[in-house]
Amino acid sequence: MKALVLVTLLVGCAGDLDEPWQLDHDRIVAIRATPPRMPAETTSLLEVLVANAGSATSARAPDSVEVVSPPGLAGAVVGATVIAPSETELAIARAELGLTAGAPVPLILAVTANGFAATKTVWLGEAATNPPLADVQIAGSEPGAELLLPGATKIPLAVTAVDGTDNVTWLTSCGTMHDFDLSRAYLRIEPEGPQDGELALVVRDPRGGVSWRVWRLGVRP
Amino acid sequence: MSSNSVIVCLAALAATAAVAYAQPAGVTAVGRVIDIAGAPIAGARVGFEGSTAHTTTDRTGWFTLSAPVGTTLVIEHDGDEVGLAVVTGGPIDDVVLRSLDAGGETIEMVGEKPVEAPGGAALDRAELQRMPGTGGDVVQTLRVMPGVTNVEVPIGLTGVPIRGSSPQDSRILVDGFEIPILFHGIAFRSVLPAETIRSLDYLPGGFDVSYGRATSGVVAITTRAGDERRSVQGELSVLDGGLLAQGSAGKRTRYLAAIRRSTIDLVLPSLLPSDLDLTLTTVPNYYDAQLRIDHRLDDRWRLWLSGLGATDTAELYTTKDTDQRTKRFYAHTAFARLTAGASYHDGSWTANLALSGVVTRYDFAQGAEQKLQGTLPNVTPRIEVIRTLGTVAGLTNIEIHGGAEAQVGRYSADIATGTEDREGEAPKAWDPHDMSTTYHGEFWVPDFAQWAATSANLEAKIRATVGVRADELARTGEVLLQPRGQLEFKVSPQWIARISSGAYRRPPEYQSELLQDKLDSERASQHIASVQWDPREGTRVQGSAYYTDRTHLITHEMDGSLGNQGRGTTVGGELLATHRAGPWFAWLSYTYAHSQRVDHPGDDSRLFSYDQPHNLNAAASWKRGRWQLGGRFQLHSGLPYTPATGAVFDNDRNLYVPTYGEPNSARAPLHHQLDLRVDYSWRWGPTALTAFLDVQNVYMNTSPITYAYSYDYTQSTTVTSLPIVPTIGLRGIL
Repeated sequence: MKALVLVTLLVGCAGDLDEPWQLDHDRIVAIRATPPRMPAETTSLLEVLVANAGSATSARAPDSVEVVSPPGLAGAVVGATVIAPSETELAIARAELGLTAGAPVPLILAVTANGFAATKTVWLGEAATNPPLADVQIAGSEPGAELLLPGATKIPLAVTAVDGTDNVTWLTSCGTMHDFDLSRAYLRIEPEGPQDGELALVVRDPRGGVSWRVWRLGVRP
Repeated sequence: MSSNSVIVCLAALAATAAVAYAQPAGVTAVGRVIDIAGAPIAGARVGFEGSTAHTTTDRTGWFTLSAPVGTTLVIEHDGDEVGLAVVTGGPIDDVVLRSLDAGGETIEMVGEKPVEAPGGAALDRAELQRMPGTGGDVVQTLRVMPGVTNVEVPIGLTGVPIRGSSPQDSRILVDGFEIPILFHGIAFRSVLPAETIRSLDYLPGGFDVSYGRATSGVVAITTRAGDERRSVQGELSVLDGGLLAQGSAGKRTRYLAAIRRSTIDLVLPSLLPSDLDLTLTTVPNYYDAQLRIDHRLDDRWRLWLSGLGATDTAELYTTKDTDQRTKRFYAHTAFARLTAGASYHDGSWTANLALSGVVTRYDFAQGAEQKLQGTLPNVTPRIEVIRTLGTVAGLTNIEIHGGAEAQVGRYSADIATGTEDREGEAPKAWDPHDMSTTYHGEFWVPDFAQWAATSANLEAKIRATVGVRADELARTGEVLLQPRGQLEFKVSPQWIARISSGAYRRPPEYQSELLQDKLDSERASQHIASVQWDPREGTRVQGSAYYTDRTHLITHEMDGSLGNQGRGTTVGGELLATHRAGPWFAWLSYTYAHSQRVDHPGDDSRLFSYDQPHNLNAAASWKRGRWQLGGRFQLHSGLPYTPATGAVFDNDRNLYVPTYGEPNSARAPLHHQLDLRVDYSWRWGPTALTAFLDVQNVYMNTSPITYAYSYDYTQSTTVTSLPIVPTIGLRGIL
């Protein structure tokens, strides 16, 4: 995207493409495993956040999940559930991957949902939780389930996260998002664009944890 | 974003010319006397045989003399060879005087200059500035050369792609030594203003053994000595502005110094939309500077000093918040080269000595983690000796030359970034945390080279040149023997045919190649046949056919390291016709080329990324009185590209990993455009002024030059060149 910006600045004349923050676009937005890291012989549930052009974003179970790596743990997934194998099987997997004893084992999964393909890594052999969405502030206050925001003004968005370490994504189907990949972003909803839609926030931490939240959004008259 | 430019040249010339002549009956002959660099020669004596009548040229080099039709004018000027011109009743072509102190350098009148290699071409400064649609810039002018791929937006290139090769396979030489960067990062302006250039020699292949470290072509630019008259010249445009000072110090020394700075950075911020998530903390800017001092020590020795430096800097944040290091992009490149040379010429002996040093600095940062910093200083002493002999063992006009150089550098690098994309590879998704290429350290790069060659006439019409070059690369442990030869047949006074074959090597020194000391050099065998036809003075038509076989091409291995398993071939034909006579300067070039690569044994062959089957340039410029009109038509194939077929979402990195079709299996469409140029000259008091308008792409044909994809590769769009690029300017000489 940065390259495209530079090319466009230097050359001009590139057509319109959907921005990465555009929620009105068919895609997988995020995949969450709860928990993202799990000790031997425990389970984790997979969910997919799917954006749909022209309709609401939804969190749903994946259509299919398959183990890509390591091949020896191909049976570690049943439906949308990851079942961490025993310590003995994890030790074999570590040897297969050349990992040190006790190291967490990355289980790389191929996930499909709504016709789209994605990969997701779940870590086996240690425990972790998905990150909390702490101190979310929209237009200066903690948001409820639905948002009624002013139009034609800069609406500040904020979440507690470490930029560059945590991966933050703000998405919307109403208005224009600025700094969509920073913990502090802002939104502008112009009168000539859609006056209602959704706002979503996805935060990924460096340990594979994923959290999200989606709000219905409208413009205050 | 069109860019208008206004060039204002302010010059101060201190000279007066006394004009005293008698006027015999006849027509009034009007002409101009210039030196080989195109600079006017003031004070030259213009007379004709059998008469004492004469005149002298004024400070702009012009003369007026009444003389009978058919008379041969004799033009004399201290320090220059005598020039001749015939009075025809019409305008007289510019008379070019060759300097007597040219030493051992091969400097001839450019309009008749023999090509140094089959298919080669040469342009002097006046022609570089006259070519329509180039704005007088060297980089733009190179695009009209046969064999050069016409890349409309050379983003990321450091040189020019020639005859089916990557830009790094050719060498850009200034005064005999390579410069690491040919053009600035914004506006694609050459680091050398045309005003500082004497001539440009384009050798697309088949060059002799004195040139090395290239498997494709050589662009040899020679800077010019300062004018004899002291002057200061200023230039200002929307793109850049600069100062140039030149003159002589005593009778034996001339100097030229120039400095230029971009001005587009003063304009650019106002062109950007205010709501763009972008902060230009250092607006893209550049500087360059040139220095040339020439000193004639005595009749045998000539000393010269040549310096060139350039720097480009840009820093931006893709946000309004400049505390966000993750959104930072920084690029800084700089280099400086200083060369001291001495030329000796006495009878049959000629020697050229030079000591050149260059320091190159790269500093790139992308996001908070990725960086690429390098400092690459090296020193090159070089000696070349040439001996000419009369007749030996039945051979005549023998020329023996040999030379040696050492290029010793100690490079340091600090790198933490993703794996680079190489030629033929589709771009990877950008991951700001990708550190798959890391390096921190210093290393020596000592390279040595020797060469020797002999040229001789086997008989009156056949001349042969054979030579061998040996490069020793201490870092890779290679000894590279490169035999080369050429046969030239002078079929008739107008027809010359040449065939040439040779071996060429490029050391592994591009991008991360330097970080691996076990890589071999890339290799090429070039085979060229050419025909040259000079039907009349000023008119030349040359055609070339060539085949190049490439081996040991450096490509990525499966594990991400670099290897030498690539192969490739290029076959092509070129036509170049030039006409320089009276008011006309015309140029017609056509190139056909087909270039393929096989990246690894067993792989399917694919098109080379700069494969451009058809490339046509037709240009003409006409000058009469105060007007100069020119036009150029371009027609060329689009470049190949690899289409994306989809993408898989990588949830862990929050990016889409693209999947691609067969490499370079699609091609951008044909592009054509017309460029026009108009110059008008007049006098305003003591000042000679020239206004010009140079318009590229006048009928606004916007062909796709590349394709861009959305973040998830489900959407694509074309990126087109600018529909029209007008350049308007004014030049004045006082």
